[in-house]
Amino acid sequence: MLTERERERYRRQIPLFGEAGQQRLGKARVAVVGAGGLGCPAALYLAAAGIGEIRLVDPDRVERSNLNRQVLHHEGDVGRPKVASAAEKLLAQNPGLTVSVRHAAIDEKNAEDLIGDADIVVDAVDDFATRYLLNRAALAKGIPLVHGAVSGFDGQVTTVLPGRTACLRCIFPVPPPKESVPVVGATAGVVGLIQANEVIKYVTGTGDPLKGRLLLWDGRSASTVLLSVERQEDCADCGSGAHR
Amino acid sequence: MQIQVRSFARIREAIGGDLIVEVPDGAPLARLLAVVGDVSEEAQNALFEENGELKGYVILMRNGKRVRQGDIDALALADGDEIALFPPVAGG
Ligand SMILES: [Zn+2]
Repeated sequence: MLTERERERYRRQIPLFGEAGQQRLGKARVAVVGAGGLGCPAALYLAAAGIGEIRLVDPDRVERSNLNRQVLHHEGDVGRPKVASAAEKLLAQNPGLTVSVRHAAIDEKNAEDLIGDADIVVDAVDDFATRYLLNRAALAKGIPLVHGAVSGFDGQVTTVLPGRTACLRCIFPVPPPKESVPVVGATAGVVGLIQANEVIKYVTGTGDPLKGRLLLWDGRSASTVLLSVERQEDCADCGSGAHR
Repeated sequence: MQIQVRSFARIREAIGGDLIVEVPDGAPLARLLAVVGDVSEEAQNALFEENGELKGYVILMRNGKRVRQGDIDALALADGDEIALFPPVAGG
């Protein structure tokens, strides 16, 4: 049952998926891995939507050069762990939220533990080595993964449903090089919010997930394209190429 | 025959936009990619390593269906095909 306060707070969205949908949001646990350009907008809108628990994972501290896009971190947060800065803003936005934070980097050993018992994982990290770790951990635990990435004015999003749709490695068998690319904050905002929208849809059972489809965002022309992507039989992470 | 080439992100910036490319009938995808690389030095660098190999992370689609990089020499194109070229982005 929703409280009166909750009914009021979520009044403008409850008609979209009913009180049952709102209750599902309130029970959902979402792991947001990365509290940077994608993780900040994604987590903020998930908090506002009434997600029950957000688990934030990030090893970094706030730098001044983060502030053009990592909108949960403010000037006074420079030097603080990103997870602490982000958790504070999320709780101020919605005191009904539970936030748990892990000030840690994902590695081979801790990946499954860090995403824990999440219902869904938001990939908001900034390199493919970490994404492959998340991909494998999410596949192993059967947890859906919402991938996002940005560069400049460009971005991409897809939702992986383990064992049913193309996984990250099916789509990106070879990682693009890690580079410090320029990015305009609004690009990360657009992509991070498409990721938040995917989570809200998944939890409430609304609409069609971006499964088997890769959405490309081109901010220069303000256009999106959907490419269909298929599971690869010999995928190193989810197919015959996987050694578990 | 004419092949449409769509491109995205950095590859699009390097090529300068969508292209219609003329290649001989039955030409393989590898031939088309070589022609696209010849558009400019930026296009060459966006698509190919210095040793001439296609960059491993470039994603290729033919008429909306994924093409594996290992198949580009064998895959014969047909008039009117649309090829999409896409470099994943990695930032977060
Ligand atoms: Zn796979």
